[in-house]
Amino acid sequence: MSYTLTGRIESRLGSVVPALVLALALHRWWAIELVALMLVLGLALDVLVYHRALPYQPGWLALPLGLGELGLVYLAMRAAGIMAPLDLAFGIYGVGWLSAQILGHAIFPRLRLEYAESGGELGRGGVLTAAAVGVTLVAGLGAAYAVRPPTVHLHGTVQGPLVIRHAETLVGGVVRGGIVIRASHVTIRDVTVVGGQHGVDIEHASHVMLDHVRVLGVTLDGIRALDAGVMIHDCSISSPASTLVSGILISYSMGRPMSMVSGCTIAGTREGIATHSSMVDVMGNHVVDTTERGILLGEMSMDMASKNVVEGAKGIGIICMDHSMCDIKHNTIAGATIDGNQDPTRQGVAIESFFYAQAQVAHNTVIASPGGVQAFDNSTIQHQN
Amino acid sequence: MEPTRRCAIVGSGLAALAAYATLRHGGLASNEIAVLGTHEDPTEVWRVRAAAIRQRQMRSESDGHLAAAAFPGLAVRELVRTGSLRPMVATVANRYHPSVEAFLAHAQDVRRRTGWSQSFTERRVGRITAREGGFELDGDGPFAHVLVATGHPGLSRPGEFSGAVHAYEPHEYASRIAIVGAGMAAATEWLNALAAGSEVVSIRRREPLRRPLNVPRTFFSKRGLGAYHSLSNEQRAAKLRELAAASFPPGPAWDEPLAQAEREGRFRVELVPNGAEQVICATGFKRGFQEDPLLARLVTDNGLATFGRWIVLEPDSTIPTLTDNSRTLSLAGVAAQWAFPAADTIAGAKYSARAFLRRICRTR
Repeated sequence: MSYTLTGRIESRLGSVVPALVLALALHRWWAIELVALMLVLGLALDVLVYHRALPYQPGWLALPLGLGELGLVYLAMRAAGIMAPLDLAFGIYGVGWLSAQILGHAIFPRLRLEYAESGGELGRGGVLTAAAVGVTLVAGLGAAYAVRPPTVHLHGTVQGPLVIRHAETLVGGVVRGGIVIRASHVTIRDVTVVGGQHGVDIEHASHVMLDHVRVLGVTLDGIRALDAGVMIHDCSISSPASTLVSGILISYSMGRPMSMVSGCTIAGTREGIATHSSMVDVMGNHVVDTTERGILLGEMSMDMASKNVVEGAKGIGIICMDHSMCDIKHNTIAGATIDGNQDPTRQGVAIESFFYAQAQVAHNTVIASPGGVQAFDNSTIQHQN
Repeated sequence: MEPTRRCAIVGSGLAALAAYATLRHGGLASNEIAVLGTHEDPTEVWRVRAAAIRQRQMRSESDGHLAAAAFPGLAVRELVRTGSLRPMVATVANRYHPSVEAFLAHAQDVRRRTGWSQSFTERRVGRITAREGGFELDGDGPFAHVLVATGHPGLSRPGEFSGAVHAYEPHEYASRIAIVGAGMAAATEWLNALAAGSEVVSIRRREPLRRPLNVPRTFFSKRGLGAYHSLSNEQRAAKLRELAAASFPPGPAWDEPLAQAEREGRFRVELVPNGAEQVICATGFKRGFQEDPLLARLVTDNGLATFGRWIVLEPDSTIPTLTDNSRTLSLAGVAAQWAFPAADTIAGAKYSARAFLRRICRTR
């Protein structure tokens, strides 16, 4: 189609409606922010690039342009610090792209016979739609701005434990003795926690984000989440102060939104990442030298472990246990060592399914782990291609 | 005085059917529209011509059909009919061209669904007379809104080949043929004659352009039309002459058989028939409103503005001096090129039809 500039803009605004409706239905600020970002980027591309470069736009170009815009939206999302779960964010983008195709090729031409010859302009309906989308987005973003949690910047070292009972964003600094989170919509960014029983202790909260948090020298858990929905990105947990420390423990959170642990480095703890009765996406982490299990997905959890690297785990690299259902794919497990207690389940097993658990495994790399991939005690392992 | 009837379509070809379908889609009842033409089957004239040049595929794409709304196009219909995704893949790459058979079957479907026959009266209109609030058609009427879609005014044959068969007339192929012209029909005839085992001499004044559609794609939408409508009369006429240059689509389906025949000495370009047994004129149609008796009389009777061979029209295909708040006189088909350069295509027919519908809706 040969779009006019007005046609591009009106079609873009009209096509964003389904994604915007979805974002509003999700009741999440990040979703509205994401749609606004998609729209602003798209409009900028329309005005600055597409209108000049594409006097005629063939249908097939929708795919490469859509992928290019997806990349830009992702980068802009990261740059703007929009805390969106990636799968949902991609889902919203996908809805936006797909609805643009369906609307542009099927619905708009039916609603407005001259849609194509008008260069994508929607007429009076388009102006009204554009106004409605604009008002909704401005109102949504305005509301998000008005009720945004306060941001607290820490400078130097603060003596904890620091207790957070309201939505807020905590940035920077060092906290001694741990952080306790008892509220939803809390973000901790670029904070180092030293000492305490739990580095970060989260209970009964949703939409908690830990971004670039370092935890050192704790005695029980680096990060503990109980009945919570948390997003943990690029954390570092090391130098445990006892032999009982779990790096990250997420438990009894099945009723909360799915949690995610990605890009973390955990070294020298008893367990690296452990889940119990939760839904967690464990992705792209580096777990080193654990003394009990590298990654534990347990107690009726429904988890995914993908693209993790588990090195030098004593006994077990990754375990799916106790009635859990686990997707274990594209992980690398190297140097799992035999635990000397003669227990066959701890003989340097790289991936293990245990006690009525169901593990689906695919494309994992196992190196120098004598136990290989095994199932014990009425559990199953299903190999996928 | 008779009460003013709603609207009339003068002509009964593809453009007339496209207009009729658009008006029906826009909510007009069959008894509000009179169709006055020479053929009850709107595809008849076109079908005979397509058969004469053995055309099997349309030059138009998925949305080149006669239904009012572009969606679902012929590619989607083929997907539904055959279950094959191939037409959809082809259409996103602008490589889908429906078969003539599919196009005609769909046209008949549109004709049946819209109730065309209920509005059709077999009559050749000889004169359109402007009256207050409408127009009389050979004394019948008045009609408040009239769309003239009389089509091409006849086949064109260069004087020196006046006795030759025209490509759009039924014909067979002799063993040595001269084909005059360089457009889509000529290119189709080259391939037909070569496939029939003939030796072909192409007689042409200039090299044909290679273009997927009749005119560049931007001229099918407001983006190109905006600039076109802002041209002066002289510039617009020059642009139309430029766009009228002979062309046929690029692609190996055309190039390979011609290159092969050239290597075998069975295809060459010359200035004269040079001993050919048969001359086929693939030289298209007569051009200009002067060649159409109805339009020529309309111009004379009403002193309409013209430029060269074109009647000067508003961008919405209406004749400015005969269109006001209460009545519309609009042209569709090739006569509407002043408003839409590709007016002789299906897209052009729909362009005029939609503008006509908008005017009717506005004056309701």
